[in-house]
Amino acid sequence: MSKPDLGLVSLAFAVAGTLIVAPTLSVGEISASRGAADWVRQESGPDGAPRSCVTCHGEDPRQPGRHAITGKPIAPLAPSVQPGRFSDPEKVEKWFKRNCTWSWGRECTAQEKGDFLTYLRNL
Amino acid sequence: MSLPPTVRVWDPAVRLFHWTLVPAFVIAYLSGEEVLDLHVLAGYLIGGLVGFRILWGLIGTRHARFSDFVRSPRTVREYLRSLLSGRPQHYLGHNPAGGAMVVVLLGMLALTTLSGMTLYGAKELAGPMAFLAAYPVFASDWFEGLHELCANFTLALIAAHIAAVLISSLLHGENLVRAMITGTKRSPQHE
Amino acid sequence: MARIHRVTALAAVSVLGIAGWVIGGDRHEREDEGRRERQRIFVDSRMTAQDPTYRAECGGCHLAYPPGLLPAASWERIMMGLGEHFGDDASLQTATAERVGRFLQANAADGNGWGRSARIARSLGGELPPLRITDTRYFRRHHEQIPPKRVLSNPEVVSYGRCDACHPAAARGDFDEHAVRIPGAGPWDD
Repeated sequence: MSKPDLGLVSLAFAVAGTLIVAPTLSVGEISASRGAADWVRQESGPDGAPRSCVTCHGEDPRQPGRHAITGKPIAPLAPSVQPGRFSDPEKVEKWFKRNCTWSWGRECTAQEKGDFLTYLRNL
Repeated sequence: MSLPPTVRVWDPAVRLFHWTLVPAFVIAYLSGEEVLDLHVLAGYLIGGLVGFRILWGLIGTRHARFSDFVRSPRTVREYLRSLLSGRPQHYLGHNPAGGAMVVVLLGMLALTTLSGMTLYGAKELAGPMAFLAAYPVFASDWFEGLHELCANFTLALIAAHIAAVLISSLLHGENLVRAMITGTKRSPQHE
Repeated sequence: MARIHRVTALAAVSVLGIAGWVIGGDRHEREDEGRRERQRIFVDSRMTAQDPTYRAECGGCHLAYPPGLLPAASWERIMMGLGEHFGDDASLQTATAERVGRFLQANAADGNGWGRSARIARSLGGELPPLRITDTRYFRRHHEQIPPKRVLSNPEVVSYGRCDACHPAAARGDFDEHAVRIPGAGPWDD
């Protein structure tokens, strides 16, 4: 190949590569579908038990859930069904801290929180 | 020499006992689990009153003593027959039927109070019988039913007692209710 | 005593007793109906979770339990250990925790000498103040007649800690045994 042709082919690869790879890059981007995937992802709680959001909130956040230990019914998380959800930032932060720790044994990252909120708000 | 128009029959202790017992029973009967503290207080009061009356029945004034009015069943029957025949035998203190009622009423009040204290101790883990908490049978529903049965039977006795007092008053021509308030009755006529 | 008189006496006593029993039973039932429908005449404030902060912070995962169900020492133990709250981290901000703690102490079971609260407090011996209401002797005595599976295997109840599942007026402090309705099983029949 001549140099100019090599240059063009490289550019094509670069552009194609960027267009294909870029969507999979997660840095700084919020994704509702990732939120949906995280919703069912099981990790270990502080006591080693496997848990996910589903454990208390159920598979469909538009349905009521139930606290896994106390059995208390939990109103649906989806704002489309339960108006007022996520309107209080302090409350949102408090429950993220508690529930991520209990389910995944750690705090959720800012991105994970964003993903969850987008997922739930779009339901 | 003329006889005094009235004679003292019921001493103040007997009268106070009687008329304190009435509201105590009413309160105990009407209050229940909703105001348990009140019910229990009324129950303790009844227990104390009954305890006093038994003691007073042994060492009290003449007509307060059991020996004055507790009679054999035959005497009770004779008295009742005399009521029906129109020539009622008159007694200054309790007549034999009334005497029998006193005994039965005191007994039922005692049973009701005791079953109540037992229930309170076993179920609510409170009161002087709280040591019975070790025996769950005394907290059972049938035991609670027994307590209620005693209370209701007592109520039935009270109804009969009131009726009998009214009938006796009519037949003897004297106001027995007033007598239990003032303590005095008209002097007995010579036969 | 002649036989006819014995029979008469027995009949009279039986009639009286049965009449009393029937009258009393009828009154009891009608009273129950009344209790189920109307507000209690008399409410012990310690048996309601009146403080809104307490309700908001402590009523998210379970019923905001009436403070009158545990003695002050129990509530103190719980507030000291919020980071390890029955397997969960229920930590509160200092100001909030102080307010909740004050409310609980002021309305604890051993606050005064009357009512169900006082009986709960007095029934606890010298043992360590319990962390769970369901661990108190009073609670146990009052729930030992219920078959456990009616609670634990019942999807509508799940836990003995769900007072309001069977005591519909629990938030009002009304635990009247005659108003109990176990989900799926109906009124608790004595």
